Amino acid sequence: MTKSIIKLEDVWKRYNMGKAGGLTVLKEIDFDIKEGEFVAISGPSGSGKSTIMHLIGALDTPSYGDIYLKEENIKKIDKNSLAILRGKTIGFIFQQFNLLPTFSALENVMMPMELVNLPDNESRKRAEELLTQMGLSERMHHKPTELSGGQQQRVAIARALANDPEVIIADEPTGNLDSKTGFFVMDFLLKLNKEGKTIIMVTHEMELVKYASRVIYLKDGIVEKEVHKKQNIKSRGSLNKKYRRENF
Amino acid sequence: MKLSKSFKIALNIILHSKLRSWLTIIGIVIGIAAVIAIVSIGQGAQRNLEQNLNSLNPNILTVSPGFSRATGAGGEFRNFGGESRGGSGGSTAKNLTVSDVTALKGVSNVLYVMGTVSGTVSQVSFLGKTSRASVEGVDPAVWKNFETTGLASGRYLSQGDVNVVVVGGGIANNVFSGMETNRQISIGGQNFRVVGILQQTGTGGGPGGGSDDNRIFMPIENAVTILEGKDKKTFDDITIKINDISITNETVTQITNILMMSHGILQASKQDFSVQSPTSIQQRVTSTLSSTSTFLTGIAIISLIVGAIGIMNTMFTSVLEKTREIGILKAIGAKDRDILTIFLLNAGIIGLIGGIFGIVLGIFASGYIAELSGTSLGGGGMGRMLSSAYVSPTLVIGIFILSVAVGLIAGAIPAYRASRLNPVDALRYE
Repeated sequence: MTKSIIKLEDVWKRYNMGKAGGLTVLKEIDFDIKEGEFVAISGPSGSGKSTIMHLIGALDTPSYGDIYLKEENIKKIDKNSLAILRGKTIGFIFQQFNLLPTFSALENVMMPMELVNLPDNESRKRAEELLTQMGLSERMHHKPTELSGGQQQRVAIARALANDPEVIIADEPTGNLDSKTGFFVMDFLLKLNKEGKTIIMVTHEMELVKYASRVIYLKDGIVEKEVHKKQNIKSRGSLNKKYRRENF
Repeated sequence: MKLSKSFKIALNIILHSKLRSWLTIIGIVIGIAAVIAIVSIGQGAQRNLEQNLNSLNPNILTVSPGFSRATGAGGEFRNFGGESRGGSGGSTAKNLTVSDVTALKGVSNVLYVMGTVSGTVSQVSFLGKTSRASVEGVDPAVWKNFETTGLASGRYLSQGDVNVVVVGGGIANNVFSGMETNRQISIGGQNFRVVGILQQTGTGGGPGGGSDDNRIFMPIENAVTILEGKDKKTFDDITIKINDISITNETVTQITNILMMSHGILQASKQDFSVQSPTSIQQRVTSTLSSTSTFLTGIAIISLIVGAIGIMNTMFTSVLEKTREIGILKAIGAKDRDILTIFLLNAGIIGLIGGIFGIVLGIFASGYIAELSGTSLGGGGMGRMLSSAYVSPTLVIGIFILSVAVGLIAGAIPAYRASRLNPVDALRYE
C-alpha cells in the first residue's frame, strides 16, 4: 500500500483581522496525498486554494488541526527543522516565478542546495545539469530580468528540483505563460510524476485539472468534492495531445 | 547556509542599492573620522604632556599671581599657556614684586629665587626672516642655576649682561636657520647679540624646566622694554629652586605664609597668588586634558550614533525592499538564522567599509587639524600641545572593531525582524 506523504486532519485556518474580527478561510479539511500522486487542488477565487498550498508546503501552520509531512506533524517541529524539511522535501513552482532578481539563473538554482550546505562544486554541477535539461545551457549566467517568462519558469522548475524533493507544489504554474510554454511545463510535471515525484498543483484552470489523477475541489474554505480519475500516467499522456490540439 | 554564501548575498544587497548604501557609509565615515581625529589629537596631546611633565624639574617651584579655589592653583602654566597670565581665576594682577623675591630668599630650603617676565613678540627678525617667539626676561645672575637645558654653543646669561640673548634650539635650528653665537638678532625692533644657543630637546617644556626650544632668554631689564605693559619691579612669575624635594610641601607652606604676610593677607580665601609644585601642575593639566578629551569624545560618539541610526534606517528600508525575496529564500529552505546572518552581515559590511574610509579620513583630518592648531595657536603651549596627533595601532584596531560593531548593533533589530518574517506574508508582499 502506498504511503501518505502529506496528510491533513481537521485543518482550519483563521486569520485575525484585528477589530474587524476574524476570517475563517479553511474549515474541516481532511485529506491525504499518497507518494507518487498527481493531485490538483481547484476551486474559484477565494475558495482557499492558496492558503491550503501554503499549509501543505509547510510555509504556514494551521489554526486548528494537524498537518503531517512525511509523518511529521509540522506544528510540532521547530522552525529551523521545518525549514530544513521544507528545503529537502518540497520544491515550489510559483505563478510569479519568484526568482531572486539580483542572482543569475545558475545562482538561483544553486541556492536551495547551498541552503542545505551541499558543497559548492556539487551544487554547481547539479544546477548546470538541471538548467541544461531545461534547455537553458546558454542562459544560465543571465539574470531573471534578462530571461523571458517561459525561461524564468524553467529556471524556477530547475530550482524546485535542485534538492531532488519528493514533492513538487505548483501554484498556477502556467498562469503567466504562453500556451506553448504552458504545455512544456505541464509535460514536464507529468514526466516528473511518472518518475515517482508527488505533484500537487493549485489551479483554477479546468484544462490543467485534467492532468491530475485526483482533483480536490474547494469552495468557501471547505472540500466541496474530490474526484479520483482512473486514467493512468500513460492515458493521461493522451491529455497532452488533446491539450496540444486545443491550444495550437 | 555557509557564512561565505551569506556574505555574498549580503554584498549583493549592498551592490544593488549603491546610492543608499554609500549615503549610509558616508554617515559612518564621518562618525569614525571624528572619533579618530579627536582621539588621536588627544593622544598626541597626552604624549606631549607626558614628555613635558617628565622633564619638569622637581626642585623648581613657581609662584604666580591670582588664585583659584576650584583648582587650588592659579597663574600661568607658561609652557602650555603661552601668553595667558594671571591664573585660572582669571586675575591679571601684577602683585609679585621685588620685595616678594627678597622675602622668599630667607626661606629655609630655598636655594635661588628669580622674578621673571614673559610674553610673545611678533617681530623677531634674523637675516631677513621674521617670525614670532616667546621672550623671557630673567635675572642673568641666577638664571643659569634654573636652566636644565644644556648649551649647544656659547654661554648662559651672566651678571651684568645687557642687550644679549640666549636662544632656544628650536628657534636657532628650525625658525631661523644658520644662527650662530655673536650674530645680531632683532627683537621687537631692538638689536641683541646672541651669546648662547640651547640644545634642541623637541619637547614642549614646563615651568621651571623642560624644553626651551621656542624661547628667547634675555636680561629682565631688556625684556621690560620690549614686552608691552611690563616693568622690572613687577613679575609675571617668581621661580624658586629648592634644595630638598622631600620637604616640598612644607616649603610650599612656608612660601605661602611668607607671601601672605608680605601681601598683608590674613585669610587663605583672600590669597592673591598661588604656589605651584610640579606635582600640582601635573594634576591640574592632566585633569583639564582628561575633561576636554571626554567632552570631545562625547561629541564624536554622538556623530557615530547618528551614523548608526543611518545604518538602522537603511537596514529597515532594505528589509522592506527585500521582503519578497526573504519569503522566496524561506520557501526554498532558508532558516531564520540564515536570514538573520545575511542582514547582520549586510550591516556589518556597511560598518566595515565606513570604518576603513573613516579611519583613513580621520588620520588625514587629525594631521590637518594638528598642523592647523600648531599654526593658528602660534608657538604657544596649547598650539604646541595640539600640534601632533598620535594614531596608535591600538586606536586603529579599536576603531575598526568599533565601526563593525556599530554596524552590527544598528543592524541587529532590522535583521531580527527580517528573520522573523512569516514566509507566506513575505511572499505576498508587493
